[in-house]
Amino acid sequence: MAPNEMMGSQVKCLLSGVSGHGDRHLAEVETDLVQMNILLGEAIKKLGASFMAIHGALCIQQETVNLLLSGGTPAPECVARLEAIHGEIGQHVNAAVTGLQFQDMTSQLIGRMVTHLAGLRDVFGALDSGSSNVLPESGHEDIVTLLNSINQMLAERSVALEGVVGKAVSQRHMESGEIELF
Amino acid sequence: MAKTILAVDDSGSLRQMVAFSLKAAGYEVIEAVDGQDGLDKAKKQTVDLVLTDQNMPRMDGLSLIKALRGMTSYQRVPILMLTTESSDDMKAQGKAAGANGWLVKPFDPARLTEVVKKVIG
Repeated sequence: MAPNEMMGSQVKCLLSGVSGHGDRHLAEVETDLVQMNILLGEAIKKLGASFMAIHGALCIQQETVNLLLSGGTPAPECVARLEAIHGEIGQHVNAAVTGLQFQDMTSQLIGRMVTHLAGLRDVFGALDSGSSNVLPESGHEDIVTLLNSINQMLAERSVALEGVVGKAVSQRHMESGEIELF
Repeated sequence: MAKTILAVDDSGSLRQMVAFSLKAAGYEVIEAVDGQDGLDKAKKQTVDLVLTDQNMPRMDGLSLIKALRGMTSYQRVPILMLTTESSDDMKAQGKAAGANGWLVKPFDPARLTEVVKKVIG
């Protein structure tokens, strides 16, 4: 086999390999991420329902306590304590509601990752389609021209990807965000 | 009579948290899954306040605000954005579109209720 033939064959093998392996692994990651999003959505739905049920039960309990207290003569410190507990529960509930919003953000992040992975698969696809034009007898100049066209294709697809990826989520803590009235 | 708020967000969990917080404060809440759904529901019933996310499928928050401001019945209805977006550029776009305020996620129920009360009473 002439040097040029060997080079062409090796480049073809390399490009096909990169494309095949990359596509297979990324497809698995994409499937896992989509599944994770489904599971997270399901989990938060259940958590939300449980949380509200607990809150409802606590409200009823408080009403019952108030009813019992109205019939007797509870010590002033007991009444004060019960009122304080009610206030504390309210604060914990608010904190939980803020914390429970994590799924909204993780969902956006997962959406971005899925789009990036789909874009990467597209890039590997470009490598594969480019490699099919490499023949064993292709010369040095042919290969250089081909590699150049693949590079252009990859650059174009990369730019196209930028337009479809959602914006990044910058929040790092699950605490109340800023509020501005115009 | 309780005031009605239209909560527009493509995240089911977020809508659930918004509805829970505002209902506890005595408001009625109508939920919409995206901007288009929000616009459809706003056309059926004029609400007292619209609370919308920005990034949603079919129609985003800014497009929804522009569409609502084009309707006679929504020219004076307060519209608040509730979004993960916090850039000055996006806030300026929201203000130009007709938003009355910008709330960055995640929200605290007490602070959300406080703002809503300040805006619509």
